[in-house]
Amino acid sequence: MKRYSQYSTNVSDFSDVPFWKKAGTMDLVYVSYGIFIVILVIVSYILGAFNLLPFDPHEINIKLLMAPPKTAGHILGTDFMGRDILSRLIIGIQAYFLPGLLAIAIALVIGTCFGILAGYWGGGFDTAITYINNLLNSFPRLVLILLMVAAFKPDIYYIMVIVGITNVPVVASLIKGKIQFLKQKYFIEAATALGLKNRIIIFKHILWHNCRSVLIIQATLGMAEAILMETSLSYLGFGVQEPIPSWGNMVLSGANYFMQGKFWPSTAPALAILFTIMGFHLLGDGLNNILEMKRSK
Amino acid sequence: MKLSAIRPILLLICKELAIASLLLLGVSFIVFIILFLSPGDPFSLLLKGQMASDTIGAGTREALGVPTAWYAQYLSWLSNILRGNFGTSIRTGLPVLSEVIRVGINTLYLTIGSMLVTLLLAVPIAILSARRGMTVFNWTSTIFTYIVSALPVFWFGYIVIYISMHQFGLFPLAFGSSSQKIGWLYFMPPVLVLGIGNGTISEVVRYLREEMERVFSEDYIRLARAKGASIWKHSLKEGFLIPITEIIASKIPFILGGAVVVEQVFNWPGMGRMAWQAAQDRDYPLIMGITIVAAIIVRLGSLIKSVVYIIVNPRASQE
Repeated sequence: MKRYSQYSTNVSDFSDVPFWKKAGTMDLVYVSYGIFIVILVIVSYILGAFNLLPFDPHEINIKLLMAPPKTAGHILGTDFMGRDILSRLIIGIQAYFLPGLLAIAIALVIGTCFGILAGYWGGGFDTAITYINNLLNSFPRLVLILLMVAAFKPDIYYIMVIVGITNVPVVASLIKGKIQFLKQKYFIEAATALGLKNRIIIFKHILWHNCRSVLIIQATLGMAEAILMETSLSYLGFGVQEPIPSWGNMVLSGANYFMQGKFWPSTAPALAILFTIMGFHLLGDGLNNILEMKRSK
Repeated sequence: MKLSAIRPILLLICKELAIASLLLLGVSFIVFIILFLSPGDPFSLLLKGQMASDTIGAGTREALGVPTAWYAQYLSWLSNILRGNFGTSIRTGLPVLSEVIRVGINTLYLTIGSMLVTLLLAVPIAILSARRGMTVFNWTSTIFTYIVSALPVFWFGYIVIYISMHQFGLFPLAFGSSSQKIGWLYFMPPVLVLGIGNGTISEVVRYLREEMERVFSEDYIRLARAKGASIWKHSLKEGFLIPITEIIASKIPFILGGAVVVEQVFNWPGMGRMAWQAAQDRDYPLIMGITIVAAIIVRLGSLIKSVVYIIVNPRASQE
């Protein structure tokens, strides 16, 4: 996930002007492309879940090995075992969709708790959480995951738990910064003076009204991170294993034929990775520009 | 400089060193916990197939002086690590530390080279867009950095291999043929691939641009501009040196992680490929050694960042 600088410390305003009128054109383009990708991913996931596919993704067709795109109804061609690439791409979304959501949920929940502890109460909590953040940042993520693979041979869900935990520091530091900034504001002081419970101040006035957009942005960026991790690991052979399609292991299985000039079996999943990750990045950054930086045009 | 001026800086550097060693202690603890929890410790692996029953195994354990309590195991393990004894690789039987250092040099070439490539691409884009504001060049370069950041590095590696094989007749898979005259050319494809495809370019550009824009709008830069002095000279420290060291230090883990994939694609005999092999073979001591060395590299990077920050900005020691 990305770390944004001090720009993202704004109190949310409740003016009547809708946010899309204040936003820059480019940011709107980013966000609409991102939303398009998100919808595409969700629709494909549902299609895959209900098995509404052009072909059976596991059906081996020996007569049509490595068929180029647009042969015999195979829009994206077939792979080295004659399986339809488009169907495998759609099914491949299942490899990261739910695990990615799990990673996001872990990062957001634990990160928010840490951020609240460090930002609202400060003191010893702050020191402890800064230490934990630095500790988690000391590991290259892929190396840490490889260590876990060597130790436990975990499946993709456990790997995504680790991805989520390594994303905790980013969320925690963002929430912490936001709360430390908000605590100087009069409305928090007024809420304390009125005798509101800490619970209400934190969940309603801080998290819901002011940290909502930060969390949404971090969720989209976290999904991009999860997709990158899943595909990299599946490419390395530690994530989703071969008969089950994943975009990462599709690139790997097509790679042997890449040098012979047969590009499509690995290029199709690679482009899917490229456009999807770019969509989530653009969505996160566009939302950040629109909701957090309040760049007015 | 007088000693009185240097002393607070030295104190601060000592403090950073203390923090770094404390963090490395935590790193070693996490690594130990993972290994401790993993099914089958190296000891039982050693005994497997040699001892018939558990009781004899336990007896051997005591006879060899292997402690059973976890904290005692941790302490003896840690004291071994501190003496540079990382154990021996299960697969090859060679001492881990010397193996990791032997291949770590290759990874160091790869990561430093690719960091330079990233900076060579990102810095001009950041400077131009910070100076000129939002122009056509700026938008195209931003889109370019987004595409490049989302590029799956393994596939990009194949494209570069394909092009360098078919267009230039280079076989980057032939590592170690550096004795030839154009040996350095074989190093280029992986360095380029990792430099472009490590997924950090858009963040580096974004961060550098924001910092530069912030510094350019400071009052002292306005004054420098009004006087007709060079604004580059005045903004160099705050607008360039500090952000660059900061972003490099925070991106080291990402580049090391990307190195795992790129080394796999290019058969580069580095730490990442060794980590992959170790994970494949479940070679605990080796992957443990690699993780600790990688964490040391990351901490070293952030130590250098803090030192640069303190030296460039002596006010930090006054606070």
